Amino acid sequence: MTSEIVAPAPGRRREAAVPAGRAGFREALAFEWIKFRSLRSTLWVTAVATLLPAPGAVLVAATESIQPEETVLGGALTFATPALMLAAVLGALVVCGEYGSGTMRSTVAAVPRRGTVLAAKGTLLACLLYALALPSCAAAYLVGDALLDDTHAQGDPLPALFGIAATFPVAGLFGLAVGALIRHGAGAITSVIAVLLLPGMLGPLFGPAERWVAGVSPTAALQKLTQSSEAAPELAGSLGAWPSLLLVAGYTALALMGTAALFQRRDV
Amino acid sequence: MAGAGRAPSVGGVIEVHALTKRYGDRAAVDRLSFDVRPGRVTGFLGPNGAGKSTTMRLILGLDTPTSGSAWVGGRLYRDLSAPLCAVGSLLDAKGVHGGRSARAHLAGLAASNGLPRRRVDEVLELVGLDPATAARRTKGFSLGMGQRLGIASALLGDPEVLMLDEPVNGLDTEGIRWIRNLMRSLAAEGRTVFLSSHLMSELELTAEHLIIIGRGRLLADTPMREFIDRHSGQGTLVRSPEAERLRAVLEDAGARVSADARGGWLARGPSAEAIGELARAHDLALSELTPRRSSLEEVYTAMVASATEYRGTAEGPQEPSRERSDTP
Repeated sequence: MTSEIVAPAPGRRREAAVPAGRAGFREALAFEWIKFRSLRSTLWVTAVATLLPAPGAVLVAATESIQPEETVLGGALTFATPALMLAAVLGALVVCGEYGSGTMRSTVAAVPRRGTVLAAKGTLLACLLYALALPSCAAAYLVGDALLDDTHAQGDPLPALFGIAATFPVAGLFGLAVGALIRHGAGAITSVIAVLLLPGMLGPLFGPAERWVAGVSPTAALQKLTQSSEAAPELAGSLGAWPSLLLVAGYTALALMGTAALFQRRDV
Repeated sequence: MAGAGRAPSVGGVIEVHALTKRYGDRAAVDRLSFDVRPGRVTGFLGPNGAGKSTTMRLILGLDTPTSGSAWVGGRLYRDLSAPLCAVGSLLDAKGVHGGRSARAHLAGLAASNGLPRRRVDEVLELVGLDPATAARRTKGFSLGMGQRLGIASALLGDPEVLMLDEPVNGLDTEGIRWIRNLMRSLAAEGRTVFLSSHLMSELELTAEHLIIIGRGRLLADTPMREFIDRHSGQGTLVRSPEAERLRAVLEDAGARVSADARGGWLARGPSAEAIGELARAHDLALSELTPRRSSLEEVYTAMVASATEYRGTAEGPQEPSRERSDTP
């Protein structure tokens, strides 16, 4: 504060109360992180998605509901599928919550380069989901391995667990793309759940084409990676586990690029 | 006015040039051009739906103009390296997620422009939100508290330009006075303060310069005083115990005299000084002698009415309501 009493002449600089800021990617990432951790809705969905798989393995073991031909890895990760849906819902929430509340205006006013906004959101979401899904799914496998009886084939946990964890950021980013496209929370959440759930549910209606319909969803990629019996080639196509993950990652990337192009142009 | 080759402005001049925004075939903003200069409060006036909020969103780059451009300090908003340090904006009280605390909202915005965390506490104190309130989720905020939070976020980056859409909305008398003083002091520091309102009485007290739009078009860009002086019918309110004799004297002196609604005569023509002299010369006791300027509201209403008429877009006279014909 200056002790001068005279009103500053036009054009003369006041003493700056704030050092010159900048609004780059790192700042946008910090912004997104603060927004993420300051909302109950996003925290709850993240917590439930992370904590779901391990108790799920306990439940499967306790109820002995595992199919005889199922692997230990597939049975232990039964609840990874609903967790994956929550990851996609989280992606939609992160962007639709902003549209619904009008926060998107403050966000874009603070970070006018919209590509940066979307990139920061996506980076945060993907890193967070991968970092949480990996220990979460590994824990579920260890719990299942300890509790499930030895009559089942083991399945190969490595490197499959890394791929399993990778389906979460992919599903989250898919949710983000759909959320930014639809902008309306309820609509976006319904859509992402439909994409994850319906191919598996409606697949049998398509007869021999079932494996093409059911095989393309992120859920199918997850089930193939867990070497679950539900991912048999006649049900989910003969595309291998890793190529399936690549396929899902590929169309998610396309969806993100399309949404980003739209987000650049649209009024907020 | 806002031509090419102008000197780069050090501070934050807002330059709007032939700005147009169409939704379908309706133009919300129609070839609008004006400058908002630093060092004074500029009022942005217009009826609901005139395009004030759309214009502000266009300046902030939130909406893309159909044609034309808006510049802040000689740059497009989206090219600003730290926008919050250049322009502080308050669009509506609803720019905040109800599930987030006021402090978290401000902390996020501070982080987005690389501002130090202490700024959050500084602006909270400046707008009078105490730490306990700031820690609460904004869902339970009153309109006034939400408005204070919005102003806090606008001030976060200590910007050269402040652009506030209806800032006094929902504030009580004390809050309105607070905003008025804040805006004036910010302008006195050499900042650009651009402030929209439909409360004309409020702008009259706060703004020194006026930009008036109607149906997306510029109606006036003028100093407040000049605007009122030019558009108002000058008059003087005179009262005397001898009302009829006063009237006769005034009319003899060439004044047009009409009865004022609140009693007394409204005299047009001679100045208040002349009327005073006249009364003394005729040995008349006066109980009131008040020069009366039209309020901004009166002037504005007359102006919008004539502008609407001029463009011939006013709806035709309403059909007289018919008597019910279905009664037996």
